[in-house]
Amino acid sequence: MNEYKKKIDEILLSVEKPARYVGGEWNTPDMTKPHRAKFCFCFPDVYEIGMSNLGLQILYDVINSHPDFIAERCYAPWPDMGAKLRENNLPLLSLETATPLKDFDVVGFSVQFELLYSNFLYMLDLANIPFYAKDRGEEYPIICAGGPCAVNPEPFAPFCDCVLIGEGEEMDLALLKLVADGKEKGWTKAQILEKAKEIEGVYVPSMLGEGEKVVKAVVKDFENAPYPTKPLVPNIEIVHDRATLELYRGCASGCRFCQAGYYYRPIRERSPEKCAEYGKKMIDSTGFGEISLCSLSTSDYTGLMDLEKELRPFIEEKKITFALPSLRLSSFTKEMAQSSRKSSLTFAPEAGTQRLRNVINKNVTDEEIDNIGRAFEAGYDSVKLYFMLGLPTETDEDILGIAEICRRLKKLYFEIRHKKNLNISVSCAVFIPKPSTPFQWEEQISLDEMLRRQSLLRKALREIKGVSFSWHGAETSVLEVALARGDKRLAPVIVRAYELGAMFDSWTEYFNWDIWVQAFKDCGVDMQDYVGEISEDKVLPWDFIDIGVSKKYLLGQRHLAYQGITTKNCREGCNGCGANKLGRCTIT
Amino acid sequence: MIVLKYVKTLDARFISHIDLLKHMSRILRRAVVPVKHSQGFNPHALIFFSPPTVLGVNSYAEYVAIDTDMKGEEVFTRYNNSVPEGLKAIEWFECAKNPNIQGKSVSADYVFDVDYFDVDLSDGLTVTYKKKEDFVTEDISGKICGTFNADGRLGVRLASGNNNLRADRLATALNEKYGKDIKVTTIAKLCQYVLVDGVEKSVDEYLRETP
Ligand code: SF4
Repeated sequence: MNEYKKKIDEILLSVEKPARYVGGEWNTPDMTKPHRAKFCFCFPDVYEIGMSNLGLQILYDVINSHPDFIAERCYAPWPDMGAKLRENNLPLLSLETATPLKDFDVVGFSVQFELLYSNFLYMLDLANIPFYAKDRGEEYPIICAGGPCAVNPEPFAPFCDCVLIGEGEEMDLALLKLVADGKEKGWTKAQILEKAKEIEGVYVPSMLGEGEKVVKAVVKDFENAPYPTKPLVPNIEIVHDRATLELYRGCASGCRFCQAGYYYRPIRERSPEKCAEYGKKMIDSTGFGEISLCSLSTSDYTGLMDLEKELRPFIEEKKITFALPSLRLSSFTKEMAQSSRKSSLTFAPEAGTQRLRNVINKNVTDEEIDNIGRAFEAGYDSVKLYFMLGLPTETDEDILGIAEICRRLKKLYFEIRHKKNLNISVSCAVFIPKPSTPFQWEEQISLDEMLRRQSLLRKALREIKGVSFSWHGAETSVLEVALARGDKRLAPVIVRAYELGAMFDSWTEYFNWDIWVQAFKDCGVDMQDYVGEISEDKVLPWDFIDIGVSKKYLLGQRHLAYQGITTKNCREGCNGCGANKLGRCTIT
Repeated sequence: MIVLKYVKTLDARFISHIDLLKHMSRILRRAVVPVKHSQGFNPHALIFFSPPTVLGVNSYAEYVAIDTDMKGEEVFTRYNNSVPEGLKAIEWFECAKNPNIQGKSVSADYVFDVDYFDVDLSDGLTVTYKKKEDFVTEDISGKICGTFNADGRLGVRLASGNNNLRADRLATALNEKYGKDIKVTTIAKLCQYVLVDGVEKSVDEYLRETP
């Protein structure tokens, strides 16, 4: 046992949930094999969230399955543990072998969303690694970052030697090979990065030439892409405590606010046979009691019925549950309602009226909402509805339309079940204009306006029995937009916010709005520059990234939105977004 | 009903009892040990545990009773192929029905990683600990059933079951009163005792005698 591990064991009993920090999960790969280079995945959120991330499990498996490389993990220690590490002069360590991050060849951060930027620095700080790439000498590992936020990496790019844009399966290995070669041949970091630039998807901030583009990395043969059939099994309860199947990447719906829907194109499906095989293997290797399906719009998956048929006998034999999350209204059928578990149904109409749903291209009609009736027939008594407030062109009528939907559902439930005890929970997020969507130029409504619209809706919903209402913090939404559409000027703002105490910003108990306001002010940066409407002819900080979908297409979609014209689902035919230049859309 | 006696050491000693309860059906599922379920609306796996050992303590006397038709030897082997080092089974027993170890528990032996010394309980022994939001001061001497010399180390028998004494609290009390530096992570639980028909005996003995 190494010295660090011994010391960690001694402090573990003074922190909450010590099992977060010991590793030793079932299916942990061999960490002692001879290797050419070592990678450490850093997840800037707490263990229970990081362990639930499918992308990380996939990449961890890809690297560890390679004979030459080892990947370990590190999750952001909860503040109590962070304080203990400092108190005991211990650096941040990897979970598997208690190795300081500094001793790895590559440290890769998985940046899932903007409110984790402060934790990126929190982890570097605990690891005694300087924040800015320019301040790190040859003695430090290559620090990189990837994940959904790489869609606009500029705010955190100055902290990275390189940013991995797009899907990591092939990119991570290519980078590790290069780093291993570099180690063996004595290359400098700059020499390695010079070559890394040539790998598809790798962006080296210090070496991007004028007018140069970085093309997003895409796994072309998704059917045969590696998948972790022996995923890690956590020893404590985590957020997604089950076996997860990824059915496809990309999304055919084209909702105009949805970043993932555009970023993960082209649309590539995996066959139901393969998915079923993976599902069985995962249950056998982990003992999980549940299989869940993970994709952007699961019920659109062509092979859903076949998959369910393949898995059904296995599920019954093993007495496990099979959950179908985030069902899309338009593809909801009674069979599905019956075959999934009867707890609560989740639907996301996103907007209260047909008009606004046309604007955002959420192709869900009022008749389709009535489809929920089939779920009532199948025995469901509660429904969760997700909406967004502050969408482009939204009026009070649209907001009140949300209450109208609730009334409609209550009436429908009564007609079918002759009871009144339907529970509806309405959850509202604030619209966030995100890069690489048709709405990337939109303004976000002001804080005051958010509060006004929230209270308008709350009042309207209060009049309907059995409806509960929850909404996301308005201030975090403003910060999210600023960071999402930010440029390099935001790097010092993030550093300043961290110095002032920002961390775990995605946790309400830790989020401190005043800190961020102060940090922007101290750095002389106006938050409004990032939150207001952006002119269409302006060069955007993320324009140098080629995600496949063309800017022209996004702009066209924006204009259609304003005319209330919808775009058909890609399954009915290609709309020419441009993504298929990076790989074939298997659904067309 | 098959009872496995297993250890809870190394990293596994930091897994809470509650988490392990939930985890056990997962372990048995991947070990392909068929577990019977209760009848009724909300069926649950028929798995029963010995009383919890405090987080961080190394235990060599944990028990889980599993309602299954599979042979003991096979359950034992399959279980051991499906758990990390820190949770390995060391023995198995067979019995007709749930032995209710938790309900019958009265005491347990621990060894503290400190040279044997006389623990004077004549004036009582108090310890202060946090219970929910409050601090509680308690005289724990009544829950110390005895001390013994364990190969030169300090051995103690502590009340277990309904009115138990957590080994970490005794460690705190001894550290304070005698200026020792006993770390919880070095404490070892060696034996669990149950009270059967008025007689105190080790769980192993009890299980061997039970038809
Ligand atoms: S290339 Fe065509 S089918 Fe593929 S995502 Fe774009 S619009 Fe849809």
